Amino acid sequence: MLAFRFLRALTLVHRTTPNSSNAARSRRIQRAAFASMAYSAGPRRAWSRALLCRFHFHRARRRCAGRSRTAGVPRRPSTTGSPADGLRRLVPGGTEMDYCSLLEETADYIRCLSKQVKLMQSIVDSVGPGGR
Amino acid sequence: MEPGGSSGVGSVNSGTYTPEIAESLRFEEEIQSLIDPSFDASSAAGGSFTALLGLPANQAVELLHHPGPGEPPASAASSSPIAGDLWRLRLVEQHAVTDTLRLPFGCSSTFPSDAALVERAARFSVFATDDSPASSSGGGLSPELKAEPPDSHSPPTLPVPAEKPRRPSKRKECEKSKAKAVAKKSKSAEENTSAAKPAAEENTSGDKLPYVHVRARRGQATDSHSLAERARREKINARMKLLQELVPGCSKITGTALVLDEIINHVQSLQRQVEFLSMKLAAVNPRIDFSGLDHILSAECGPLAMGSGCGGGASDPATWASETAASTGGIRRMPPPQQIWHLDLVHPQQSSTVWENNGAAHPHFLLSPATSLVGYDPASSVPLNSNQLKTEL
Repeated sequence: MLAFRFLRALTLVHRTTPNSSNAARSRRIQRAAFASMAYSAGPRRAWSRALLCRFHFHRARRRCAGRSRTAGVPRRPSTTGSPADGLRRLVPGGTEMDYCSLLEETADYIRCLSKQVKLMQSIVDSVGPGGR
Repeated sequence: MEPGGSSGVGSVNSGTYTPEIAESLRFEEEIQSLIDPSFDASSAAGGSFTALLGLPANQAVELLHHPGPGEPPASAASSSPIAGDLWRLRLVEQHAVTDTLRLPFGCSSTFPSDAALVERAARFSVFATDDSPASSSGGGLSPELKAEPPDSHSPPTLPVPAEKPRRPSKRKECEKSKAKAVAKKSKSAEENTSAAKPAAEENTSGDKLPYVHVRARRGQATDSHSLAERARREKINARMKLLQELVPGCSKITGTALVLDEIINHVQSLQRQVEFLSMKLAAVNPRIDFSGLDHILSAECGPLAMGSGCGGGASDPATWASETAASTGGIRRMPPPQQIWHLDLVHPQQSSTVWENNGAAHPHFLLSPATSLVGYDPASSVPLNSNQLKTEL
Protein backbone atom coordinates (compact mmCIF):
# COMPACT_ATOMS: atom_id res chain seq x y z
CA MET A 1 0.00 0.00 0.00
CA LEU A 2 2.64 2.39 1.03
CA ALA A 3 4.72 1.52 -1.99
CA PHE A 4 1.92 2.16 -4.42
CA ARG A 5 1.04 5.49 -3.09
CA PHE A 6 4.54 6.65 -2.76
CA LEU A 7 5.65 5.55 -6.19
CA ARG A 8 2.69 7.14 -7.74
CA ALA A 9 3.29 10.34 -5.93
CA LEU A 10 6.95 10.21 -6.86
CA THR A 11 6.27 9.85 -10.52
CA LEU A 12 3.70 12.57 -10.29
CA VAL A 13 6.16 14.93 -8.77
CA HIS A 14 8.70 14.22 -11.44
CA ARG A 15 6.24 14.69 -14.15
CA THR A 16 4.62 17.86 -13.00
CA THR A 17 7.72 19.75 -12.01
CA PRO A 18 10.41 19.02 -14.48
CA ASN A 19 11.72 22.56 -14.39
CA SER A 20 11.85 23.33 -10.73
CA SER A 21 14.94 23.02 -8.66
CA ASN A 22 15.98 19.97 -6.83
CA ALA A 23 15.30 21.52 -3.49
CA ALA A 24 11.70 22.30 -4.24
CA ARG A 25 11.22 18.88 -5.66
CA SER A 26 12.76 17.24 -2.67
CA ARG A 27 10.39 19.16 -0.49
CA ARG A 28 7.49 17.91 -2.49
CA ILE A 29 8.79 14.42 -2.44
CA GLN A 30 9.18 14.56 1.28
CA ARG A 31 5.68 15.79 1.61
CA ALA A 32 4.52 13.04 -0.67
CA ALA A 33 6.31 10.54 1.50
CA PHE A 34 4.53 11.70 4.61
CA ALA A 35 1.25 11.87 2.79
CA SER A 36 1.55 8.34 1.57
CA MET A 37 2.49 7.25 5.06
CA ALA A 38 -0.57 8.91 6.48
CA TYR A 39 -2.85 7.48 3.83
CA SER A 40 -1.58 4.00 4.27
CA ALA A 41 -1.87 4.17 8.03
CA GLY A 42 -5.46 5.16 7.70
CA PRO A 43 -7.65 7.36 9.85
CA ARG A 44 -7.42 5.01 12.77
CA ARG A 45 -4.23 6.54 14.00
CA ALA A 46 -4.08 9.91 15.65
CA TRP A 47 -0.81 10.86 14.03
CA SER A 48 -2.03 10.02 10.56
CA ARG A 49 -5.16 12.02 11.14
CA ALA A 50 -3.08 14.96 12.26
CA LEU A 51 -0.88 14.66 9.19
CA LEU A 52 -3.82 14.45 6.84
CA CYS A 53 -5.41 17.44 8.46
CA ARG A 54 -2.24 19.32 7.98
CA PHE A 55 -2.08 18.46 4.32
CA HIS A 56 -5.68 19.18 3.60
CA PHE A 57 -6.04 22.43 5.42
CA HIS A 58 -2.65 23.90 4.79
CA ARG A 59 -2.41 23.06 1.18
CA ALA A 60 -2.28 26.70 0.28
CA ARG A 61 0.33 27.40 2.86
CA ARG A 62 2.80 24.74 1.97
CA ARG A 63 5.68 26.41 3.56
CA CYS A 64 4.06 26.41 6.94
CA ALA A 65 3.24 22.77 6.66
CA GLY A 66 6.76 22.01 5.55
CA ARG A 67 8.27 23.93 8.42
CA SER A 68 6.04 22.46 11.05
CA ARG A 69 6.59 19.01 9.76
CA THR A 70 10.33 18.88 9.70
CA ALA A 71 12.27 17.56 12.63
CA GLY A 72 14.56 20.53 12.76
CA VAL A 73 13.14 21.65 16.07
CA PRO A 74 15.99 21.83 18.54
CA ARG A 75 15.43 19.55 21.45
CA ARG A 76 15.31 21.44 24.68
CA PRO A 77 16.25 19.70 27.90
CA SER A 78 13.11 18.38 29.48
CA THR A 79 13.72 19.69 32.98
CA THR A 80 10.53 21.65 32.98
CA GLY A 81 7.25 20.06 32.22
CA SER A 82 6.62 16.47 31.44
CA PRO A 83 9.42 14.31 30.10
CA ALA A 84 7.56 13.60 26.90
CA ASP A 85 7.64 17.15 25.55
CA GLY A 86 10.31 16.48 22.96
CA LEU A 87 8.37 13.50 21.77
CA ARG A 88 5.21 15.50 21.52
CA ARG A 89 6.86 17.92 19.19
CA LEU A 90 8.16 15.20 16.96
CA VAL A 91 5.13 13.04 16.57
CA PRO A 92 2.41 14.73 14.54
CA GLY A 93 -0.58 15.49 16.67
CA GLY A 94 1.35 14.73 19.79
CA THR A 95 0.55 17.89 21.62
CA GLU A 96 -3.04 16.96 22.28
CA MET A 97 -2.55 13.44 23.47
CA ASP A 98 -2.20 12.02 26.91
CA TYR A 99 1.02 10.30 27.76
CA CYS A 100 -0.31 6.81 27.34
CA SER A 101 -1.65 7.26 23.84
CA LEU A 102 1.40 9.29 22.95
CA LEU A 103 3.55 6.25 23.55
CA GLU A 104 1.28 4.12 21.44
CA GLU A 105 1.23 6.61 18.62
CA THR A 106 4.97 6.94 18.77
CA ALA A 107 5.36 3.21 18.34
CA ASP A 108 3.13 3.18 15.31
CA TYR A 109 4.79 6.26 13.90
CA ILE A 110 8.22 4.73 14.25
CA ARG A 111 7.05 1.58 12.51
CA CYS A 112 5.59 3.50 9.62
CA LEU A 113 8.59 5.78 9.34
CA SER A 114 10.97 2.88 9.15
CA LYS A 115 8.83 1.28 6.44
CA GLN A 116 8.92 4.48 4.48
CA VAL A 117 12.65 4.83 4.86
CA LYS A 118 13.17 1.28 3.70
CA LEU A 119 10.99 1.86 0.70
CA MET A 120 12.74 5.01 -0.31
CA GLN A 121 16.11 3.43 0.21
CA SER A 122 15.19 0.53 -2.01
CA ILE A 123 13.96 2.87 -4.72
CA VAL A 124 17.20 4.73 -4.62
CA ASP A 125 19.10 1.50 -4.73
CA SER A 126 17.07 0.14 -7.59
CA VAL A 127 17.59 3.21 -9.66
CA GLY A 128 21.23 2.51 -9.29
CA PRO A 129 24.34 4.61 -9.29
CA GLY A 130 23.78 5.57 -12.87
CA GLY A 131 20.72 7.55 -12.03
CA ARG A 132 22.41 10.91 -12.08
CA MET B 1 -6.05 -36.62 90.44
CA GLU B 2 -3.62 -39.39 90.36
CA PRO B 3 -6.06 -42.17 89.68
CA GLY B 4 -7.69 -40.11 86.98
CA GLY B 5 -4.41 -39.50 85.35
CA SER B 6 -3.35 -43.05 85.62
CA SER B 7 -6.65 -44.23 84.32
CA GLY B 8 -6.33 -41.94 81.40
CA VAL B 9 -2.86 -43.15 80.81
CA GLY B 10 -3.91 -46.68 81.29
CA SER B 11 -6.42 -46.53 78.53
CA VAL B 12 -3.71 -45.55 76.17
CA ASN B 13 -1.33 -48.10 77.51
CA SER B 14 -1.65 -50.40 74.60
CA GLY B 15 -0.81 -47.66 72.16
CA THR B 16 1.63 -44.92 72.62
CA TYR B 17 2.15 -44.84 76.29
CA THR B 18 5.39 -43.32 77.35
CA PRO B 19 6.42 -41.81 80.61
CA GLU B 20 6.30 -38.46 78.96
CA ILE B 21 2.62 -38.66 78.47
CA ALA B 22 2.16 -39.24 82.14
CA GLU B 23 4.40 -36.29 82.86
CA SER B 24 2.44 -34.09 80.54
CA LEU B 25 -0.79 -35.18 82.05
CA ARG B 26 0.43 -34.29 85.47
CA PHE B 27 1.69 -30.92 84.24
CA GLU B 28 -1.52 -30.20 82.56
CA GLU B 29 -3.68 -30.94 85.49
CA GLU B 30 -1.51 -28.99 87.87
CA ILE B 31 -1.60 -25.98 85.66
CA GLN B 32 -5.27 -26.35 85.14
CA SER B 33 -5.74 -26.31 88.84
CA LEU B 34 -3.64 -23.17 88.99
CA ILE B 35 -5.77 -21.44 86.42
CA ASP B 36 -9.06 -22.44 87.78
CA PRO B 37 -9.22 -23.35 91.42
CA SER B 38 -12.60 -24.83 90.84
CA PHE B 39 -11.23 -26.96 88.15
CA ASP B 40 -11.89 -30.53 88.82
CA ALA B 41 -8.89 -32.30 87.60
CA SER B 42 -10.47 -35.65 87.72
CA SER B 43 -13.50 -34.54 85.86
CA ALA B 44 -11.38 -32.72 83.38
CA ALA B 45 -9.19 -35.66 83.03
CA GLY B 46 -12.24 -37.68 82.59
CA GLY B 47 -13.45 -35.07 80.17
CA SER B 48 -11.74 -33.94 77.10
CA PHE B 49 -8.30 -35.34 77.49
CA THR B 50 -9.42 -38.82 78.28
CA ALA B 51 -12.02 -38.33 75.68
CA LEU B 52 -9.23 -37.52 73.34
CA LEU B 53 -7.42 -40.53 74.55
CA GLY B 54 -10.66 -42.35 74.53
CA LEU B 55 -10.47 -42.13 70.84
CA PRO B 56 -8.62 -45.00 69.48
CA ALA B 57 -5.02 -44.13 69.76
CA ASN B 58 -4.46 -44.31 66.08
CA GLN B 59 -7.16 -41.73 65.47
CA ALA B 60 -5.55 -39.36 67.88
CA VAL B 61 -2.25 -39.98 66.24
CA GLU B 62 -3.80 -39.38 62.89
CA LEU B 63 -5.33 -36.21 64.17
CA LEU B 64 -2.00 -34.98 65.26
CA HIS B 65 -0.05 -36.22 62.32
CA HIS B 66 -2.43 -35.12 59.65
CA PRO B 67 -0.81 -31.76 59.11
CA GLY B 68 2.40 -33.40 58.19
CA PRO B 69 1.77 -36.62 56.36
CA GLY B 70 4.92 -36.48 54.37
CA GLU B 71 7.35 -36.77 57.17
CA PRO B 72 7.88 -40.29 58.44
CA PRO B 73 7.69 -39.93 62.12
CA ALA B 74 10.09 -42.04 64.03
CA SER B 75 8.40 -43.71 66.88
CA ALA B 76 10.35 -41.88 69.52
CA ALA B 77 9.97 -38.64 67.74
CA SER B 78 6.31 -39.22 67.21
CA SER B 79 5.52 -39.88 70.78
CA SER B 80 7.00 -36.72 72.16
CA PRO B 81 5.31 -34.46 69.68
CA ILE B 82 2.12 -36.25 70.40
CA ALA B 83 2.63 -35.52 74.03
CA GLY B 84 3.54 -31.96 73.38
CA ASP B 85 0.75 -31.44 70.94
CA LEU B 86 -1.75 -33.18 73.04
CA TRP B 87 -0.78 -30.93 75.86
CA ARG B 88 -1.14 -27.89 73.72
CA LEU B 89 -4.30 -29.11 72.21
CA ARG B 90 -5.74 -29.54 75.63
CA LEU B 91 -5.04 -25.96 76.54
CA VAL B 92 -6.08 -24.67 73.24
CA GLU B 93 -9.39 -26.31 72.92
CA GLN B 94 -10.34 -25.26 76.36
CA HIS B 95 -10.31 -21.64 75.40
CA ALA B 96 -13.16 -21.98 73.05
CA VAL B 97 -13.43 -22.36 69.41
CA THR B 98 -13.81 -18.64 69.07
CA ASP B 99 -10.28 -18.14 70.20
CA THR B 100 -8.88 -20.33 67.52
CA LEU B 101 -8.69 -17.58 65.01
CA ARG B 102 -6.40 -15.73 67.32
CA LEU B 103 -3.87 -18.44 67.12
CA PRO B 104 -2.49 -17.86 63.67
CA PHE B 105 -2.00 -14.23 64.37
CA GLY B 106 -0.83 -14.39 67.93
CA CYS B 107 1.29 -17.48 67.95
CA SER B 108 4.83 -17.94 67.09
CA SER B 109 5.80 -20.79 64.92
CA THR B 110 6.23 -23.11 67.84
CA PHE B 111 2.57 -23.98 67.56
CA PRO B 112 2.45 -24.56 63.91
CA SER B 113 -0.22 -27.13 63.62
CA ASP B 114 -2.47 -25.82 66.28
CA ALA B 115 -4.89 -24.08 64.03
CA ALA B 116 -5.31 -27.10 61.83
CA LEU B 117 -5.45 -29.33 64.82
CA VAL B 118 -8.05 -27.28 66.49
CA GLU B 119 -10.13 -27.21 63.38
CA ARG B 120 -10.12 -30.91 63.19
CA ALA B 121 -10.58 -31.28 66.87
CA ALA B 122 -13.59 -29.08 66.71
CA ARG B 123 -15.16 -31.55 64.40
CA PHE B 124 -15.24 -34.05 67.13
CA SER B 125 -18.30 -33.25 69.17
CA VAL B 126 -16.61 -34.32 72.37
CA PHE B 127 -14.39 -31.31 72.27
CA ALA B 128 -17.10 -28.91 71.39
CA THR B 129 -18.87 -29.53 74.63
CA ASP B 130 -15.83 -28.96 76.67
CA ASP B 131 -15.20 -25.36 75.98
CA SER B 132 -17.33 -24.22 78.84
CA PRO B 133 -14.89 -24.63 81.69
CA ALA B 134 -12.36 -21.92 81.96
CA SER B 135 -13.24 -20.45 78.63
CA SER B 136 -13.29 -17.04 80.13
CA SER B 137 -10.31 -17.64 82.27
CA GLY B 138 -6.86 -16.71 81.27
CA GLY B 139 -7.29 -15.77 77.73
CA GLY B 140 -4.30 -13.70 78.38
CA LEU B 141 -2.67 -16.50 80.26
CA SER B 142 -2.91 -18.89 77.40
CA PRO B 143 -0.13 -17.44 75.34
CA GLU B 144 2.05 -17.48 78.35
CA LEU B 145 1.06 -21.01 79.06
CA LYS B 146 1.72 -21.94 75.51
CA ALA B 147 5.04 -20.27 75.72
CA GLU B 148 5.92 -22.35 78.72
CA PRO B 149 5.71 -25.87 77.35
CA PRO B 150 8.15 -25.26 74.58
CA ASP B 151 10.67 -24.20 77.12
CA SER B 152 10.01 -27.18 79.25
CA HIS B 153 9.83 -29.65 76.45
CA SER B 154 12.28 -27.85 74.33
CA PRO B 155 15.12 -30.06 73.22
CA PRO B 156 13.35 -33.16 72.04
CA THR B 157 10.16 -31.61 70.90
CA LEU B 158 10.96 -28.29 69.36
CA PRO B 159 13.19 -29.26 66.49
CA VAL B 160 10.83 -31.94 65.38
CA PRO B 161 7.67 -29.90 65.39
CA ALA B 162 9.61 -27.08 63.89
CA GLU B 163 10.74 -29.22 61.03
CA LYS B 164 7.74 -31.39 60.68
CA PRO B 165 5.01 -28.97 59.80
CA ARG B 166 6.98 -26.73 57.57
CA ARG B 167 4.55 -27.19 54.77
CA PRO B 168 1.56 -26.62 56.91
CA SER B 169 3.24 -23.57 58.36
CA LYS B 170 3.56 -22.27 54.86
CA ARG B 171 -0.02 -23.12 54.26
CA LYS B 172 -0.95 -21.45 57.47
CA GLU B 173 1.01 -18.40 56.51
CA CYS B 174 -0.80 -18.42 53.26
CA GLU B 175 -4.11 -18.65 55.05
CA LYS B 176 -2.96 -15.98 57.42
CA SER B 177 -2.03 -13.65 54.67
CA LYS B 178 -5.13 -14.56 52.74
CA ALA B 179 -7.14 -13.58 55.73
CA LYS B 180 -5.09 -10.45 55.98
CA ALA B 181 -5.71 -9.63 52.38
CA VAL B 182 -9.38 -10.20 52.75
CA ALA B 183 -9.43 -8.11 55.86
CA LYS B 184 -7.55 -5.39 54.12
CA LYS B 185 -9.90 -5.52 51.26
CA SER B 186 -12.88 -5.18 53.49
CA LYS B 187 -11.56 -2.08 55.17
CA SER B 188 -9.95 0.51 53.01
CA ALA B 189 -6.51 0.40 54.48
CA GLU B 190 -4.58 3.11 52.80
CA GLU B 191 -2.27 3.67 55.66
CA ASN B 192 -1.09 0.12 55.44
CA THR B 193 0.30 0.45 51.96
CA SER B 194 3.60 1.99 52.77
CA ALA B 195 4.28 -0.30 55.69
CA ALA B 196 2.77 -3.38 54.20
CA LYS B 197 4.19 -3.04 50.75
CA PRO B 198 7.66 -4.31 51.59
CA ALA B 199 6.09 -7.08 53.64
CA ALA B 200 3.68 -7.82 50.88
CA GLU B 201 6.39 -7.95 48.30
CA GLU B 202 8.37 -10.24 50.51
CA ASN B 203 5.30 -12.37 51.01
CA THR B 204 4.48 -12.58 47.37
CA SER B 205 7.99 -13.53 46.53
CA GLY B 206 8.20 -16.17 49.19
CA ASP B 207 4.77 -17.73 48.88
CA LYS B 208 4.69 -20.38 46.25
CA LEU B 209 1.21 -21.71 46.86
CA PRO B 210 -1.59 -20.47 44.66
CA TYR B 211 -4.00 -18.06 46.22
CA VAL B 212 -7.23 -16.56 45.24
CA HIS B 213 -6.68 -13.54 43.08
CA VAL B 214 -8.31 -10.62 44.71
CA ARG B 215 -8.63 -7.45 42.76
CA ALA B 216 -6.57 -5.46 45.15
CA ARG B 217 -3.20 -7.06 45.36
CA ARG B 218 -1.80 -8.12 48.63
CA GLY B 219 -0.64 -5.30 50.80
CA GLN B 220 -1.70 -2.64 48.33
CA ALA B 221 -4.35 -0.03 48.61
CA THR B 222 -7.83 -0.91 47.57
CA ASP B 223 -8.80 2.62 46.78
CA SER B 224 -10.48 3.06 43.46
CA HIS B 225 -8.12 5.88 42.63
CA SER B 226 -5.04 3.86 43.30
CA LEU B 227 -6.44 0.93 41.37
CA ALA B 228 -7.01 3.10 38.36
CA GLU B 229 -3.60 4.65 38.75
CA ARG B 230 -1.98 1.30 38.97
CA ALA B 231 -3.74 0.13 35.83
CA ARG B 232 -2.64 3.25 34.05
CA ARG B 233 0.93 2.80 35.17
CA GLU B 234 0.90 -0.75 33.94
CA LYS B 235 -0.40 0.37 30.58
CA ILE B 236 2.32 2.93 30.30
CA ASN B 237 4.98 0.43 31.26
CA ALA B 238 3.73 -2.02 28.66
CA ARG B 239 3.89 0.58 25.96
CA MET B 240 7.32 1.70 26.99
CA LYS B 241 8.43 -1.89 26.64
CA LEU B 242 7.04 -2.04 23.13
CA LEU B 243 8.84 1.13 22.23
CA GLN B 244 12.05 -0.20 23.66
CA GLU B 245 11.76 -3.21 21.43
CA LEU B 246 11.14 -1.05 18.39
CA VAL B 247 14.07 1.23 18.93
CA PRO B 248 17.32 -0.63 18.42
CA GLY B 249 19.66 -0.62 21.34
CA CYS B 250 17.06 0.65 23.74
CA SER B 251 16.39 -2.49 25.67
CA LYS B 252 19.62 -2.25 27.59
CA ILE B 253 18.91 1.19 28.88
CA THR B 254 17.30 1.45 32.26
CA GLY B 255 15.45 4.52 33.30
CA THR B 256 12.57 6.17 31.58
CA ALA B 257 14.25 9.48 30.84
CA LEU B 258 17.10 7.89 28.94
CA VAL B 259 14.78 5.63 27.07
CA LEU B 260 12.66 8.58 26.06
CA ASP B 261 15.75 10.41 24.88
CA GLU B 262 16.74 7.43 22.84
CA ILE B 263 13.30 7.23 21.29
CA ILE B 264 13.38 10.90 20.43
CA ASN B 265 16.77 10.46 18.83
CA HIS B 266 15.51 7.58 16.80
CA VAL B 267 12.48 9.44 15.52
CA GLN B 268 14.63 12.40 14.61
CA SER B 269 17.07 10.24 12.76
CA LEU B 270 14.28 8.58 10.82
CA GLN B 271 12.83 11.89 9.80
CA ARG B 272 16.24 13.12 8.73
CA GLN B 273 16.68 9.99 6.68
CA VAL B 274 13.39 10.65 4.93
CA GLU B 275 14.52 14.13 4.12
CA PHE B 276 17.85 12.97 2.80
CA LEU B 277 16.36 10.26 0.67
CA SER B 278 13.81 12.61 -0.74
CA MET B 279 16.63 14.89 -1.76
CA LYS B 280 18.26 12.01 -3.51
CA LEU B 281 15.09 11.02 -5.22
CA ALA B 282 14.48 14.53 -6.35
CA ALA B 283 17.83 14.62 -8.05
CA VAL B 284 17.32 11.28 -9.65
CA ASN B 285 14.59 10.96 -12.11
CA PRO B 286 13.72 7.41 -11.43
CA ARG B 287 13.78 5.41 -14.59
CA ILE B 288 12.31 2.58 -12.77
CA ASP B 289 13.02 -0.81 -14.18
CA PHE B 290 10.30 -3.25 -14.06
CA SER B 291 12.49 -5.79 -12.40
CA GLY B 292 13.61 -3.20 -9.96
CA LEU B 293 10.07 -2.37 -9.14
CA ASP B 294 9.46 -6.02 -8.64
CA HIS B 295 12.13 -5.95 -6.01
CA ILE B 296 10.82 -2.94 -4.23
CA LEU B 297 7.26 -3.95 -4.12
CA SER B 298 7.88 -7.52 -3.23
CA ALA B 299 10.12 -6.40 -0.46
CA GLU B 300 7.58 -4.02 0.85
CA CYS B 301 4.35 -5.87 0.45
CA GLY B 302 4.35 -9.00 -1.62
CA PRO B 303 1.04 -10.34 -2.71
CA LEU B 304 -0.76 -7.23 -1.74
CA ALA B 305 0.76 -5.47 -4.68
CA MET B 306 -1.51 -7.29 -7.04
CA GLY B 307 -4.57 -5.71 -5.66
CA SER B 308 -4.91 -2.37 -7.21
CA GLY B 309 -7.87 -0.19 -6.71
CA CYS B 310 -10.87 -1.25 -8.57
CA GLY B 311 -13.44 1.03 -7.20
CA GLY B 312 -14.79 3.75 -9.30
CA GLY B 313 -13.99 6.41 -6.76
CA ALA B 314 -10.83 8.29 -7.49
CA SER B 315 -9.22 10.01 -4.63
CA ASP B 316 -7.59 12.58 -6.85
CA PRO B 317 -9.93 13.28 -9.66
CA ALA B 318 -7.93 16.34 -10.52
CA THR B 319 -4.79 14.40 -11.20
CA TRP B 320 -6.67 11.87 -13.18
CA ALA B 321 -8.12 14.54 -15.35
CA SER B 322 -4.75 16.11 -15.92
CA GLU B 323 -3.25 12.80 -16.73
CA THR B 324 -5.82 11.86 -19.24
CA ALA B 325 -5.48 15.23 -20.81
CA ALA B 326 -1.73 14.97 -21.05
CA SER B 327 -1.57 11.47 -22.32
CA THR B 328 -0.89 10.68 -25.88
CA GLY B 329 -3.23 8.53 -27.83
CA GLY B 330 -0.89 5.72 -28.56
CA ILE B 331 -0.36 4.93 -24.99
CA ARG B 332 -3.88 4.85 -23.87
CA ARG B 333 -5.45 1.85 -25.24
CA MET B 334 -8.00 1.55 -22.56
CA PRO B 335 -8.96 4.68 -20.73
CA PRO B 336 -11.75 3.14 -18.68
CA PRO B 337 -9.60 0.50 -17.04
CA GLN B 338 -7.24 3.23 -16.09
CA GLN B 339 -9.81 4.86 -14.00
CA ILE B 340 -10.67 1.56 -12.52
CA TRP B 341 -7.06 0.91 -11.71
CA HIS B 342 -6.89 3.57 -9.20
CA LEU B 343 -4.74 3.26 -6.22
CA ASP B 344 -7.48 3.11 -3.70
CA LEU B 345 -7.02 -0.62 -3.51
CA VAL B 346 -10.54 -1.17 -2.49
CA HIS B 347 -11.30 -4.36 -4.31
CA PRO B 348 -8.24 -6.39 -4.97
CA GLN B 349 -10.19 -9.40 -6.11
CA GLN B 350 -11.93 -7.64 -8.89
CA SER B 351 -8.80 -6.03 -10.06
CA SER B 352 -7.15 -9.35 -10.73
CA THR B 353 -9.55 -10.09 -13.52
CA VAL B 354 -8.94 -6.68 -14.94
CA TRP B 355 -5.28 -7.36 -14.81
CA GLU B 356 -5.67 -10.56 -16.74
CA ASN B 357 -7.62 -8.86 -19.45
CA ASN B 358 -5.02 -6.25 -19.91
CA GLY B 359 -1.96 -8.29 -19.29
CA ALA B 360 0.05 -6.65 -21.98
CA ALA B 361 -0.70 -3.20 -20.81
CA HIS B 362 0.38 -3.54 -17.24
CA PRO B 363 3.97 -2.56 -17.18
CA HIS B 364 3.21 0.17 -19.52
CA PHE B 365 0.76 1.71 -17.16
CA LEU B 366 3.10 1.18 -14.38
CA LEU B 367 6.05 2.95 -15.79
CA SER B 368 4.71 5.57 -17.99
CA PRO B 369 4.53 8.86 -16.21
CA ALA B 370 1.47 9.72 -18.13
CA THR B 371 -0.48 7.17 -16.26
CA SER B 372 -0.73 6.86 -12.58
CA LEU B 373 0.93 4.02 -10.92
CA VAL B 374 -1.34 1.14 -10.40
CA GLY B 375 0.72 -1.82 -9.51
CA TYR B 376 2.69 -4.48 -11.13
CA ASP B 377 2.14 -7.71 -12.79
CA PRO B 378 4.70 -10.36 -12.19
CA ALA B 379 3.88 -11.79 -15.54
CA SER B 380 6.71 -11.15 -17.90
CA SER B 381 5.13 -8.91 -20.41
CA VAL B 382 7.95 -6.48 -20.36
CA PRO B 383 9.51 -6.97 -23.77
CA LEU B 384 6.29 -6.06 -25.50
CA ASN B 385 6.24 -2.63 -24.11
CA SER B 386 9.82 -1.80 -23.57
CA ASN B 387 10.04 0.24 -26.72
CA GLN B 388 6.96 2.10 -25.73
CA LEU B 389 8.49 2.80 -22.37
CA LYS B 390 11.49 4.28 -23.99
CA THR B 391 9.42 6.58 -26.02
CA GLU B 392 7.60 7.71 -22.97
CA LEU B 393 10.53 8.36 -20.77
